[in-house]
Amino acid sequence: MTIADRNELRQPAYGEAHGLPWLVAEIRDHLWPWAGKGQPARKAIQGAGFALAIAATLAWVMAALGRLEAGAIIGWWFGWSVFEVLVRLDAKPYVKEGPWWGRLYRRATVMDMICYVSFKNLLIGAVLFIALKAAGVLIV
Amino acid sequence: MFALRALRRFLPALAGLVIASAVHADTYEVKLPPELGTSPKMCDYAPCAEVMPGATSFSERKGQPPFVEAYKDEGGQKKLLGYVMLSTDITDTPAYSGKPVVTLIGMDTAGKFVGVKILKHSEPILLLGIPESLLIKFNNQYLGKFVGDNIEIGRSRPDENIIGLDAITGATVTVIAQNQVMMTSGTTVAKQVGILKPVIRPQAKFPPATGTPSWSELVADGSVQRLTVKPEEVGLKGDGPYMDLWFGYLNQPAIGQAILGKDGYASLMSRLKDGEHAIFIIKPAGMDSFKGSGFVRGGIYDRVQVRQDKDAFTFRDLDYVNLWSVAAAGAPAFSESAIFIIRGKGFSAAYPWRLVFLGNKIDKETAAKTFANFDKEYWLADKYLEGGRPVVIKPDPTWLKVWKERAVEIAGFVVFLLAISAAYASRDKLVRRANRQRRWPVNAFKYTGWVISIGFVGFSAMAQPSITQVLTWFHSLLFQWKWELFLSDPLIFVFWVFIIVTVFIWGRGFFCGWLCPFGSLSELLFRLGRLVGLKRFQFQLPKPLHDKLKWVKYVVFFGLLAVSFFSMGLAEKLAEVEPFKTTFLVGITNRSWPYSLFAAGLLGLSIFTERPFCKYLCPLGASLAMPTTFRWFGLKRKDECTSCKACAKGCGSQAIDAKGNIDQRECMLCLDCMVLYYDDHACPPLAQERKRRTKAGQPLTPINGKGYFIPIHQVPAEPQKKGATA
Repeated sequence: MTIADRNELRQPAYGEAHGLPWLVAEIRDHLWPWAGKGQPARKAIQGAGFALAIAATLAWVMAALGRLEAGAIIGWWFGWSVFEVLVRLDAKPYVKEGPWWGRLYRRATVMDMICYVSFKNLLIGAVLFIALKAAGVLIV
Repeated sequence: MFALRALRRFLPALAGLVIASAVHADTYEVKLPPELGTSPKMCDYAPCAEVMPGATSFSERKGQPPFVEAYKDEGGQKKLLGYVMLSTDITDTPAYSGKPVVTLIGMDTAGKFVGVKILKHSEPILLLGIPESLLIKFNNQYLGKFVGDNIEIGRSRPDENIIGLDAITGATVTVIAQNQVMMTSGTTVAKQVGILKPVIRPQAKFPPATGTPSWSELVADGSVQRLTVKPEEVGLKGDGPYMDLWFGYLNQPAIGQAILGKDGYASLMSRLKDGEHAIFIIKPAGMDSFKGSGFVRGGIYDRVQVRQDKDAFTFRDLDYVNLWSVAAAGAPAFSESAIFIIRGKGFSAAYPWRLVFLGNKIDKETAAKTFANFDKEYWLADKYLEGGRPVVIKPDPTWLKVWKERAVEIAGFVVFLLAISAAYASRDKLVRRANRQRRWPVNAFKYTGWVISIGFVGFSAMAQPSITQVLTWFHSLLFQWKWELFLSDPLIFVFWVFIIVTVFIWGRGFFCGWLCPFGSLSELLFRLGRLVGLKRFQFQLPKPLHDKLKWVKYVVFFGLLAVSFFSMGLAEKLAEVEPFKTTFLVGITNRSWPYSLFAAGLLGLSIFTERPFCKYLCPLGASLAMPTTFRWFGLKRKDECTSCKACAKGCGSQAIDAKGNIDQRECMLCLDCMVLYYDDHACPPLAQERKRRTKAGQPLTPINGKGYFIPIHQVPAEPQKKGATA
């Protein structure tokens, strides 16, 4: 065990799943920051999160249509990432402890969540950014 | 508090020096007159006389790629002295910054370099750290050397006919690029003016045509090739390609007849003299003309060129023949077409050649045009050549040459990294052999790693990783990834691959704590301080203060990242918060006093407190700490660690919190806590159990992987057999 205090351990809603359902739930967990059924979450943050996520999605769509500059989409993605930290701290306040294929989760501190969201969104953003650039709709 | 006071004192001085350096860096990102790249009178906008001593007048731009002729007055008559060329007219080779070093080059009529002047560069390393004068000194090495010589960076090798140039330590990529710029520019002009004779290649012989291939067959066997330029590659927006060209070689009978028809082919061949060649180009789509809108009769087609190895073939109006249609079945419709005649004995269709589209990239912010070319290779297939394709040995790319030259050094470095990794991977065995008093089984490997890292990696190979590389990689990932750029510095490349892999396996602590040259130097000084009796002066910041100050490095990292989006140059300047350049690249004694004082201050402070820079300031450490959140394998803890503070008290990184958990982002993986974990005289729960068992007369079983003695289970005694008593 790499954690001394077992009170720090957390179990996500899908924690009991195994095999493919667990993997699907894990992927969904990375892509969907909001709380699922039976998970407590503050409605104001949930609502604002939904609104901002729609705006960020629209920004990516506009970028895909060639109507948004590279700097603007980076700005939008950064803005959304900041808010995603708040949404996740409220709805899914845990991060994985140990290897990605493991089943150990721990309570997320603010820094844990900043690291998690920034790294995840850097990868997602880079993939989308490069894809749009390769498609020729985003000019740098 | 001393650290804070020291920082408060030195930072303004550092900021002052940054500004002062920017003033002294004459050509860093200077704004050049836009006419410099376009005006026929280039020397009205460039100091041509400085690179051509004795010249009194200059011609307009001529040739393709362009150059100017330099003259001196001799008895009222103009005498040709040599040639002046602007590097960006000829090549778009980028340096480390991704931008070219704009260089004005003078060459006399004998082909010897007589002057070199940097007009503009964007190399941050030359802005701070390495003085720009070193690049000037580097360029001066070309003076008097013949353009046709084999000039390379590194040692001279007379047996291979190679003249070596001294590189600039710490700016290898920049000088490799600069050498390419000098030699490409020089040879290109030297060939145009006849100083260098074209290479005479054996001419191709073609088998007679046995059929007429269709367009799709020609495409399939490579007899027609496609060169496409996207709008974004030239800084434009738009649907469809900016330039979409199909091209091919017409002298080959089967291909020529397929494209032109039998009569057309016969007609064209009857016009060609011996040693002349024809190619065709069609443009099915594109936003611009490949012939060039500025073309006038008698001029040069300045947008297309054929290059074979180092020889370039340009086309004038007399080299142009109309192409009205393409006979091959299935050929695409086109809006522009041409047949061009290559007149030069150096060209041979038996060898590969390239069609080059000479374009301009428009900078979105400044609307300035920069030279950019795009090319596509063409080589006739075996079946179209009698005897098949000849053997062609292509020269190694520059980065590969560097890797080959430094093969032993690279191999040694890889062995070093693997050996230290193997030692760390065996940590469970090592820490079991160590105890609180006797830590050499761990420290022997760690200290060896430090010493090699400081001496070999830091001072000798200068492969200290830096936040500037993270910023460059980050920008490259989003904007323009060039493998060649990163491969040009092999040790840094290998180190980064290693760092990325190990950060995800073990966390940043392995690099920062075991392998970072500056970190190693810093902690080694701390250990040496203890050894020479300074222990009583050594201190740790109070934990609450440490827990606040540790965030500073993240602020520094995010600050640099944010600034880099607005100005990479400014971010590079601010990255001087890392004392790495001063310590390893330039040397503490070789820099101006604020830098030296900053680096020396940090190292001096390291004698009294463990790794102050790593803990509180290092943006590189912060950038690696973030993915460390997801490291796969962490250090072990016991349930008792929540209340026992034994490890936390001895933790030099102050990475163990009040609940006994290790903050992996702060941990330097010194393994001191793991030594205690298995030490039955130092780990309180273990020591307690040892004493209990000793008192109870129970054996001390081995310690299991969870850090406890293997439990003793009472086994019920077997019932005694009757009559078995002794």
